Parts: sequence; C-alpha cells; structure tokens
Amino acid sequence: MDTFTFKRAASVAEAVAAATAGVDAKFLAGGQTLLPVMKQGLAAPSDLVSLARVAAMQGIGVNGGMISIGAMMRHADVAAHGEIKALLPALSVLAGGIADPHVRNRGTIGGSLANNDPAADYPAAVLGLGATVVTDRRRIAADDFFQGMFTTALEAGELITRVEFPVPERAGYIKFPHPASRYALVGVMASKSAQGVRVAVTGAGACVFRATALEQALAKSFTPGALDGVAVGADDLTSDRAGSASYRAHLITVLAKRAVARALEVRS
Amino acid sequence: MTEHARFGKSQVRVEDQRFLTGQGRYIDDVNRPKQKHAAFVRSPHAHARVVTMDVSAARALPGVALIVTGAEWAARGFGPLPCRSPSKVNRDGTPFKEPTRHCLASDTVRYVGEPVAMVVAGTADEARRAADAVIVEYAELASVTDRAAALGDDAAQLWPEVPNNLCLDFEQGNRAAVEAAMATAKHVVRLDMGNNRLTAVPMEPRGAIADFDAATGQYTLVNCSQNIHANRDLMASMLKIDKAKLHHLAPDIGGGFGAKNSVYSEPVVMLYAASKVGCPIKWIADRTEAFLSDTHGRDQQSTVTLALDEHGKFLALHVDTVGNVGAACGTMGPFTPTGGTARTTGSVYAIPAILYTSKAVFTNTVQTDPYRGAGRPEAVFHVERIVEFAARTLGIDPVALRRQNLIKTEQLPYKTAVGLEIDCGDFPAVMERVLAMSDRPGYAARVATSRAKGLRRGFAVTPYLETSGGAPHEEARLAFRADGTVVLSVGTHSTGMGHETALAQIAADTLGIDLTRIRFVQADTDATSIGGGHGGSRGIEVGGSAVLKVARMVIEKARGIAAHLLNSHVDDITFKAGVLSDTKTGQSVALDAVIAAAGDTSRLPQDMSAGALDTTAKFERETYTVPNGAHACEVEVDPETGVIAVDKFWCVDDFGSVINPMLADGQVMGGIVQGLGQALLEEVVYDPQTGQLLTASLLEYALPRADHVPRMEIAFFEGAPTKRNPLGAKGSGEAGCCGATPVIVNAVLDALHEYGVRHIEMPLTSEKVWSAITGASA
Amino acid sequence: MTELSMTVNGVVRRAAAAPTVLLSTFLRESLKLTGTHVGCDTSQCGACTVIVDGRSIKSCTMLAVEADGAAITTIEGVAKSDGTLHPVQEAFRAHHALQCGFCTPGMVMASVALLAHTPNPTDAQVRHGLEGNMCRCTGYQNIVDAVLAASQSMKGA
Ligand SMILES: Cc1cc2nc3c(=O)[nH]c(=O)nc-3n(C[C@H](O)[C@H](O)[C@H](O)COP(=O)(O)OP(=O)(O)OC[C@H]3O[C@@H](n4cnc5c(N)ncnc54)[C@H](O)[C@@H]3O)c2cc1C
Ligand code: FES
Ligand code: FES
Repeated sequence: MDTFTFKRAASVAEAVAAATAGVDAKFLAGGQTLLPVMKQGLAAPSDLVSLARVAAMQGIGVNGGMISIGAMMRHADVAAHGEIKALLPALSVLAGGIADPHVRNRGTIGGSLANNDPAADYPAAVLGLGATVVTDRRRIAADDFFQGMFTTALEAGELITRVEFPVPERAGYIKFPHPASRYALVGVMASKSAQGVRVAVTGAGACVFRATALEQALAKSFTPGALDGVAVGADDLTSDRAGSASYRAHLITVLAKRAVARALEVRS
Repeated sequence: MTEHARFGKSQVRVEDQRFLTGQGRYIDDVNRPKQKHAAFVRSPHAHARVVTMDVSAARALPGVALIVTGAEWAARGFGPLPCRSPSKVNRDGTPFKEPTRHCLASDTVRYVGEPVAMVVAGTADEARRAADAVIVEYAELASVTDRAAALGDDAAQLWPEVPNNLCLDFEQGNRAAVEAAMATAKHVVRLDMGNNRLTAVPMEPRGAIADFDAATGQYTLVNCSQNIHANRDLMASMLKIDKAKLHHLAPDIGGGFGAKNSVYSEPVVMLYAASKVGCPIKWIADRTEAFLSDTHGRDQQSTVTLALDEHGKFLALHVDTVGNVGAACGTMGPFTPTGGTARTTGSVYAIPAILYTSKAVFTNTVQTDPYRGAGRPEAVFHVERIVEFAARTLGIDPVALRRQNLIKTEQLPYKTAVGLEIDCGDFPAVMERVLAMSDRPGYAARVATSRAKGLRRGFAVTPYLETSGGAPHEEARLAFRADGTVVLSVGTHSTGMGHETALAQIAADTLGIDLTRIRFVQADTDATSIGGGHGGSRGIEVGGSAVLKVARMVIEKARGIAAHLLNSHVDDITFKAGVLSDTKTGQSVALDAVIAAAGDTSRLPQDMSAGALDTTAKFERETYTVPNGAHACEVEVDPETGVIAVDKFWCVDDFGSVINPMLADGQVMGGIVQGLGQALLEEVVYDPQTGQLLTASLLEYALPRADHVPRMEIAFFEGAPTKRNPLGAKGSGEAGCCGATPVIVNAVLDALHEYGVRHIEMPLTSEKVWSAITGASA
Repeated sequence: MTELSMTVNGVVRRAAAAPTVLLSTFLRESLKLTGTHVGCDTSQCGACTVIVDGRSIKSCTMLAVEADGAAITTIEGVAKSDGTLHPVQEAFRAHHALQCGFCTPGMVMASVALLAHTPNPTDAQVRHGLEGNMCRCTGYQNIVDAVLAASQSMKGA
C-alpha cells in the first residue's frame, strides 16, 4: 500500500475540510471497498479521512413514515435494527445479505452508496424505495443520485451524512448472488407506496436502474402474476462469465416476481 | 501377512491443541534473524519473447540486495526443473517430449505468471516495489490455452521441438479387442465430456525460507512443501550440490491437496540467492500469486464410448482424452491425463475390453500436476457418466444397469482390462448399502414435495474405485528418551490429515504406551533418511505400515532385553499391554523398565549397547491398494433459475481397516466437498484470446462455502481388509472427490430428465442449467 | 509512525505503526500474535478474523490505526488464562472440525462471535454465519456440528 496521511474527523465540517485540503483525499468509512482497492494498488489517496468518530453520521431514527440512517451505520446495524425489521423488513433482509458477517460489521451504507458498485445491494434499496441521500450540503433524490458505473451525483469532497427511506406499503428484495464473490449477479427491490411502484435492479447493468416495463405491469396489479410474460430487454445488460445478458434479463423478471411475492407475504 | 493389527478408535487429535490456540507454526510464522525478503517478477503475457530486461531502476531502490534474472540463471548453468512422469513413451514407442524449463525464463515466457526474475530486499514491501520496477520488454506471440485447440495445425506453437504441442501420445489397453467389440456390439453409446481445470487452493499460500551457512556450505530450506525428501534430491541436483548439503524441512502446512507436491522454481532460486547475499531469504506467495503459479489440475477433454450387448452387459470401453499439461512438464508432467487416468479406467465394472488413448498437450497455461485424485476422479467420472448416459439412452434403470455390471465378489481377485489388480472388496454389498442408507422408499414423497415448491428433485448413485498412489517405500524411526518421551519420526507428511495422531496411535497402541508420550517428527531430511511425503493417500497405508513395523521391531528387541533382565530365554517372553512376561516363570517386567535399561549398556545383553531400543524400519508396499465405495445423492434444481442445491448425500467407503474413523470421515467429507466444487462451482479460466488468467482471485474462482454443502452421512464397509499391508488399510484421502463429482452431475441430470437434457459440462453453473432447460424445450 | 495502544486479549499493548499497516500485520508482526492467519488478498477467506470491540471483523481489511484504543480478541486469547479451552475450541477438537488448522483461528473467532449474538443457531444459521470463512479441508460439516455442540455446552456455563 502506498503511504498516506491518516486524519480522524470529529465532525462533518472537519471531515469535509480535511477532504478538501488533501491533494487526493478520500473518506474512509468501513474500508471494505477502499482498503482492498488500495491493497491491490488500484487507489493511492494522499489522505484518508476517517469518519468513524463523526457523531452526526451515526444512529438510526424513525420518525413517522421515515427511517433516517446515519451514513456510518454498518450493514450489521441496519440488519439487526428492530424498528427497521418491523417497518421495512426488505431493508433488513437486504443489509443482512450483503457479504458476510465480518464485512457487515465494518461496511457502511454511506460507503456503499458513495462507491456505487454496479453489483452492490444498497443502491437497489435506495432506488427501489425512493430514498433521499442527505449530504453535508444538500438532499439528493434517489433518481438523481446514481449516474453510472462507480459514479454518483456527489461532488468532490461531498460527504453523505444520512440516508432517508420513506416507509412503503410493501417491499421485497431478492438477491441472486455471484457464485464466487457473492455480490449481486442480479438483485431486485420491488416496492409499492402512495407514490407508486418502484422496481430497482442491481448487478445486471453498469449501474442500478429502474425496470420500467415491470413497474408499469405492477402498477396495474402488484402481484407476481402481473409480470407473467413481461420481459426485460437484454441490450444494455452486463455479460460476463457469471451470466450472459440474456440470462440476467431472464433473472430480473423471475426475481422481480419473487420480490413481489415476498413483499406480499410480509407487511412492510 | 496373516493377522491384521486393529486400531479402530476415534482418537481426538493431539495436534489440535496447538492449532486451536493459535500456536501452529506455518511458513509465514517462521522468521530468521537478519532475513531478507524475495519477490518475483512474473510474465504479464501468455506467450512472448523477452526482448530486454532492465533492472537498473529496481536495483537503485531502497533495500534492494540482489536481483537474479533469467539470463543470469541460464548463465550459471543450473539444471532445469525435472519431470518424473512414470508415463514417458508414445504409443509408437518413441519417447515423450520434455522441453527444458528453467526456474526463471530467459528468452521466452509461456504463461501468465511465469517467473523471469527474483528480487531480494530488506522487507517484503521493498522487494515487491523493486520487482515492479524491473522493466521487461516483451514481444508478444500468439498463444493457445485451450486443450483441444492446442493440437490444431494453426495453433500457436510453444516449443519448436514439439510439433502440434503434443507432449505424449499415450495408449493403454487392448485396441484390437475394443475395436472388434465396438464393431459388432448391439449398442454403442458415445459422449463427449470435460473435466474442468481446477486449482487446489489450500487456504495457506506457498512460501519458503532459504538459508546458507558459508562456513559449512550447508543449505537449509524451510519450505511449505509436501514432498520433502524427493524434492530435496531434485533441488540439490538442479543446484548441482551434494544432497547431504541441503537440509529440507517443512513447518505446519495449511493444506496442499497436491499443489504443494511439485518442485517449484521459487525455493530453488532463493537457495541460490541465499548463498549470494549471505542471509536468510523469505518469500510468501499472496493469493493472486498462488492462483497464477500453483500447479493446476484436471483439464481433460474426453470422448467416451461404451459397447453393450442386447441385455445391457458391458462389452468394451474406450476413453479418448486430450489432457492439458500446461506450458511445460510439471514434476509429474503428462502422467495425470495419461497413465494416471488409464490405471483405474473401467472402475468397478467387469468390462472385458478397455482402451485408454490420450494426448497430453502443451498450452500457454501454468503446469498441471496432481490435484487430489490425479486421474482417478477423471476415470470414475468417465465411466459413471457414460453408464448413466447409456442407461438413459437405452431406457434401462441406471441402478439396475450398474448392479448388473459390477465386478462380483466371486470374480475377485480380478485383473481389469487395463491391468489393475483388484485384490479384495465387495462392490455389490457396498452399493446396496448406500442404497439402503439413502431412503429409497421415501423418495417419491420428497420428489412430490420438491415439485410442489416448483423444484425438480433428482437422485443418483455412483460406485467408485481408485488406487492409493505415491511413493511405495517409507521409513519410520522410534527413539527413546531418558525422560520417557518416545520420538517417532516418519517420512510421510501430514498436511492436515492428522498423522501426528493416527501414526502415533499405531505406535502407542503397539507399544502399549500412552499417546501423550509420543513426540512426532515428520517432513525433515535430518530426521529420516528417506520419505515419500504426501500424495496418493499413502500416509496411513505406507507410513502406518512402517510405523507398525518399527514398533514390532522394538518389541522384538525388548523381548531380548527382558529375557536378559529376567534371566529367561527369549522364546519364553511374551509381550502384552506394555508388559513383557516369562510364560514359564511368570516373572514379568514392564516395557518402561526395559526402556530404562536400554539406556544403560551395563544392563543390556552383550551384543547391545545404550540406545539399543532406538530402531529404524523401512517398509515397502508390494503394490497399491484399491479403495472403493459408493456415493448417492439427491439434488433439487430450480428450473426457473437453474440453481442447484445438493440436498442429501450418502456414502459408503471400503478403506479396508479404518485406523481412526473420525479422521477417515474428515478425509471423505473434505474430498466430497472438493468433488462438489468441481461439479458445480470451480473452474480455472484463461481468456482464449489473450491467455490472461480470468480467475486469479477468490472473487472469481468459486470455492465451496458452508452453505453450499449438504449434510453428509458416511459409513465404512470393513468386510474386505486388504492383505497388501499389515494394517489392512486402503488409502482414504482421495476417495471423496472420486465419487462426489459424477454422482452430483448424474443426480442433476436425473432431475432434468423430463426436460430432455442429457448432458451438461462441468461446472454445472446455474446459467448452463437454465440454458440447457430452455434450449432443450425450445 | 503513530503510537497505537489497544487492549489485546485483556492486556494493554502499545506499538508504533505506519498508517498503512493493516491490523492483521500489526497483530502478526508487531505483537507477534501469529495465530491470526492471512489466506488471501481480496478480503474473502476469513482466516484473519478477529473480534474488535465485540464484533468479528477481517483484520486484513482494517487499518491498525482504526483499532487504536479498541479491545481485541484474537485466537490466542480465546482460552482462559489457565489454559482451559473455550467451549468452541473444545467442540472443534471433539468434532474434528479442523484438519490443517489454517482456517481454524478465523473459524473459531467467527463461531465465538456468531454464538454471542445467536446463542441457539440452527444448522442453516451456522452455515450462513460462516459465510465469510473458507475451509478447504473439512467440508464444513464438522465445523457446523462443533458450533451447534458448543451452543449446547455454553448453555450450561
Ligand atoms: C468480501 C466482501 C464482500 C462484499 N460483498 C458485498 C455484497 O454482497 N454486496 C454489497 O453491496 N457490497 C459488498 N461488499 C462491499 C461492502 O458492502 C462495502 O462495505 C461497501 O461497498 C463500502 O462501504 P465502506 O463503508 O466499507 O466504504 P469504504 O470502503 O470506506 O469507502 C468506499 C468509498 O466510498 C467513499 N465514502 C465512504 N463513506 C462516504 C461518505 N459517507 N460520503 C461520501 N463518500 C464516502 C470512500 O471515500 C470510498 O471511495 C463486499 C465487500 C467485501 C470485502
Ligand atoms: S486474509 Fe483472507 S479475508 Fe483476511
Ligand atoms: S482445516 Fe484446513 S482450511 Fe480449514
């Protein structure tokens, strides 16, 4: 690993200031993506700004129909949280299905979203539930946040502080893991709320996306059967050794049906 | 030999105490004062000419002590990496092709990861940085990584002296009889099938520490290797030094499965470098390096043809294989896809005529060498797939077809058409037992339950047979210390198999002493003069026999000493439960008293002196044993996604007499899960265009995890102990992966039968299963 | 170099480390606790699992500086100081849940952590809970059985 300056931020302002001061500074959240990448020599930041002690990025709050999760909350925290389990079990299931227990004990929601890995799970939750990403300077709607492979709306030095999830009427998440890495080969979050139906797909393309054909079918009837014969085009999907684009396209519909079935089983 | 010694006890392992408390000492835990660290410069290309190499920038970096380049290595005149393939002769009688492979490539690189230089520096990090700073200019050449493509006339040629990349053109069996049977048989079924390329992935990557003492000229190599004695001899000859000048020993080894058997480049170059820099040199591979440079296994493509008569009786079998040996010969070279697979072809079936033909080919990939089973799993796979396929094609019940063609007990001893001599066993009883375990009556209900969930259930049973292998001779030594400790030194090598317990158990039980008194030494050229190491499930069979022999020799000597102490005649002395007694006088003396006396010349008979009880024995097996068994499993397939879950697994093994059932269970389960890995998950993939290794990390190479694995029920059939060694044991280490791979594949195809799917190549990934279903029904 | 201080296996340990040093390296090289193994370079295998402030983590994927001030348990600190093995270690031995022993420290730490928050796991929960730990020798069954047995024996304690 190339050497860097390690800084520990105590507040959002300090973190942002430190990140802006360095030539090529990066925030360090759980390190579960950043450290492996640095170990391989694929990233060599000048400064690492540890977010571990920023209080404003901690905690989970439930307020009316809104769940607010601090960006530094670990996947394990979200998976185990009692109120989330009760109000939005699809999110607990999703968080509890990321990686393995040890990674879940370190990795954070903020880090996952900022990283926007095409095969990561949280982007499907944020997009499929219509969440809002809160940063040190603004609020970004899910539909505006994810912009491409490993690319988001975040500006240089912009810090995600919290993520706010509106509680839907129903939601379900199904992940089809990659056989080796266990990231999502395909993951589908389907939800229904007063604002409408959302189906977000991760793993299948360069970036998480909404499957509009499926949403339209489900808007008519939020049942697995509504998706019978509704196909997703394979054109823009990823093809690799773990799955061709047409296999991924097929899985999207299958998993969407199962996500809807799951959503109907448990009340969100 | 008449009577079999019995040691069947599930003794918990003595080595576990240290492994469970973090006190194990693996290669990376070993450090030497003043050590420096090595890093290797490896080829980024599958096939290229080395145009220039510039080490000046690297040499100027902090901490750099030495850089050894391929050119320097060549100039020093060291010997090439040796090939010890037992199969060396082409079918036309000409010798096989063994191109010269040096530890560091100098003019041409032939696979991604081939070492071209080594850097020694103060820290591992400095060494790595300097290695990255070595500038090599390559001129890329066309490459070929696929086994079948390599034989083509337009394929890239790896070696000018090897036309069509053909290393060995092998044939074994009876061609005339097979051709005749094929021509006239009522049924001839044929199927193409691959054995996917695998890598062993022991959880501990390789590593070594080399040292040189200038005063004595003595080299020491602490090496994460499973083949200490043989590789010492080979490395000494490569370095052109007397083998007595190389002390080779292994610390605790974190798994091997074959990948730590071969002679590798790295330690040899490190030994040379240690003599140059005058301090110890350490190197630990990282996982990526392990994927690139550990030997790989399997990688065979076969056409299998079975001839049957109108009643389903097998008449002839022909297996025609292309096996990928990598860029040059590994330590066992072309053996695995040739003689290694031929030997057990036909497995447990009475097949009057068998022909095994095979072409071993060079490709731009790392060497293949024995991986758990080394040809025997492939052989079982061939026959079990073709039998299943024949049953389906001819509309015969697969179980009945197997039952009909098994070698019957009354046919034993039986010599197969490829010359394997099966001394004992009871194949029908073993298969019936696994069928009985697998709850056939409840199957229909389980099928229905699965179907109600939208899943398809399949079942298969496959018997298997293999042979233990490895070196035939072994040495064991017992030495008695004044403090009561008994030092047992062996030339076999446990890399997790529990010899520290199992072999000590044999010694302790034979001598009638407590297991805790035994101090176990293995894998050290100073401790025993010979040693066959690990390989071919030989530890208990050959090593255990040597231990039994040495313990019995000690008792013989003890009887002589006891006779002297008791003023008796040696013929009257019997030994039982740690006590030597005179049957005439009734007087007795404890073995411990004899041990004590043996340390004192004045208390010994005239012809003995202090230390008289210390004994070394060599054991040589006459021929290998034939472990066998039968596996059965049920799988559930999700036809919508192609996902396979192995739901139930049963297995009955005939390992002859089982020394420690708990350890044997462990060997079987580990093997089954590696077999499951081959069937469903694992595959080493090189990019066919660029020759880059696409599966160079655990993110890409899928290893079985806890939740892939079904509950396994294991039983032993002990009705047919072998007379080929005094323990009656047949090696247990590789059996699991022989049966598991075909039984899982066959069960999946049983589940998919209704869709008309008849074959899928391994690994059976969900996409392949899904495509097969949609393709077949389209 | 920063001077770090952590409570490792109940003892306060201090050593200096560069910011780039991983916790696994710090434990193995600075504190000579070589029971924590490193089996991969992509954070997959789990051989390096240790417990930091009550949570299992992969020590190859955490900076030592981030563990400054933390309480850490490694495989060397699982048994009682009088040498009595932890019920998980005891069960691993009784169930032959290890062969080569290389994955074992990570497996034991993962199992201890698993039982701390799921005292009565099912077979499936154990398998899911060990998802981050690879073993190439045992085929996992004996490990699962050991964890289930330990969960029983820990009830009495
Ligand atoms: C073995 C393994 C398996 C995994 N499997 C999965 C999986 O199945 N599914 C899945 O979704 N993920 C998986 N991951 C990734 C894991 O979830 C990571 O934790 C996550 O992607 C990144 O979170 P982090 O907190 O570790 O971020 P870090 O690694 O610390 O940071 C990642 C990036 O985000 C930036 N960043 C971090 N926090 C913020 C913030 N608050 N504001 C702005 N920028 C920030 C950092 O600067 C860095 O560029 C896996 C990881 C590993 C090691
Ligand atoms: S060493 Fe493999 S996960 Fe840490
Ligand atoms: S015991 Fe060897 S890897 Fe698990």
